[in-house]
Parts: sequence; structure tokens; C-alpha cells
Amino acid sequence: MKIKRKTLRANVPSMAMGDIAFNLLIFFVILARATDDSHLQWDPAEAVDVTQAGASKVSIVIDAENKYYINGQQVGIAEIAPRIDDILGDAAVDDRTVLLKVHRNASANHFEPVIEAISEAGGTILHVLEEQRE
Amino acid sequence: MSIRPRRTTKLLVEPPASATGDIAFNLIVFFLVCASIQPDSGRTQEIPRSEEKQEQKEEQQNIEVAITGNLAAISINGDTMRTPELLPRLTGLLKGKSKPQDKIVILKSKLDTPYHHWILVTAEIEKAGGIVTIQREEEQTVTVQ
Repeated sequence: MKIKRKTLRANVPSMAMGDIAFNLLIFFVILARATDDSHLQWDPAEAVDVTQAGASKVSIVIDAENKYYINGQQVGIAEIAPRIDDILGDAAVDDRTVLLKVHRNASANHFEPVIEAISEAGGTILHVLEEQRE
Repeated sequence: MSIRPRRTTKLLVEPPASATGDIAFNLIVFFLVCASIQPDSGRTQEIPRSEEKQEQKEEQQNIEVAITGNLAAISINGDTMRTPELLPRLTGLLKGKSKPQDKIVILKSKLDTPYHHWILVTAEIEKAGGIVTIQREEEQTVTVQ
């Protein structure tokens, strides 16, 4: 007499798919926020002619308290030039854009050293500004 | 003979519980797309690298713009004028200059010059066809013995 072997199916429960996707999404959102500087407090200066900024490897923020941030991480003024150099490396000219987000009331003794550091690192500065509406 | 009213069966209609996860997922995607970061906009600026040897030679030839303590006034080659007069004056001074090195405008700011004013002045310089170069007040430490 032949005994039929019972085949067991090992399926991933489809009920859990939504939860798996949800957890993956949360993971990637948290990962993306680690290099984000949207939580920093700064008011942009205004300008008449502004252009849309493309993708950039480096984003520098000088916030309302005159603190410096590179890609969302707080740094000292002396660290700015070597950090930009490290990030930009041997990137092509088109890929050397540095977004500069300076609080509108920041003084020259705070933002000019940053501009100088970007210039020395061979970066192209893109001052992030708000379009002035007449 | 009395007519009996027809009995209606009321069925409780509920969305299937298995779909709740998918609904939540789609809602999150929707809100993430809605809250997607607005692309930054601004103004590109290329500031030439400083060359200390040439600096002294060219300083006399280049136009020098100094931001004064009074935001309504500005100084070009030592002449103080109102800020709106900067553009026509610079356009006149840069007229006929074709070489990039002749178009360099040295910008001197006070240590307390606010960024929004600096942006306004540099925009006027670039509009006039000039190339902005910043000259910072260097802090020197003098040791007294």
C-alpha cells in the first residue's frame, strides 16, 4: 500500500505584505532624513532673478544662530574647506555645485569665509534665495 | 387575508481587514508625494580663486566696490553714492572691457554686512557684467612683548 506524502506549502502570508512595505518605507524615510537639512532654521534672502537648482552633492547652511552645517551635520568653520574637498573630489565641473543656504541676516564675517572655502575647493556656488515677488 | 410585509435582510458591509495594510501604505505614499521637497532655487555665482602674487598688481586696475555701514550708500573706487546708482555707474566703468580679468570687481564688505544686502550688491555687479571677487578684512594677531 502506498502512502501519499503530504506536501506542505511554505508561503509568505500575503496579509503581512502591507506591513512589510510599510516598514521598508519608514526605514528609507529615516535614512533619507539623516542627510537632510530641512529641519534647520534659516530665512532666505530675496532676489529677482532666480533659477531652479539641480542636484547637488554639497549643501551648506548658515542658520539663524550662525552655526555651520554641511549636508545637515554641524561643523566648525575650519572643517568646511577640507570637507567640501573630500565630497567633491575629482568631480566634473557640472557636478561641483554647492548649495549655499545663508540666513538673510547673517553677517559677512560668517558667510564670507564659507564663500572663500567653496571657491578654494573649486566649487560653483548656488546661493539659495527666495524669488522676490513684485 | 393580511399581506405580510416583505422582510429585508440587512447585511453589514465591512471592508476586508486584510486590505488595511495596503490602504495605510497607499495613504503614506500619497502624503509623501504631497510633501515632497520643493526644489531649491537661487543664483549661481563663480568666484575666482585668490592669487596672492597677482593681487597687488591688479588691485589698482580693478574696480573696487566697498559696502559701507549705511546700507543705502555704497562706494566705488572711493566715491560714495546711493545704492541704486551702482548699476549705471558700474555699467559705464565696465563698458568696452572684454577680457575677463578686466571685468573683475573687488568687493569689500564690513564685518557686519548682512547677507541680504551683500546679495543685492553682488546681483547688481553681475548685472553690470562684472565678476565678483571678495576681499576680506584679514584678522591679524599681533604679539606684544
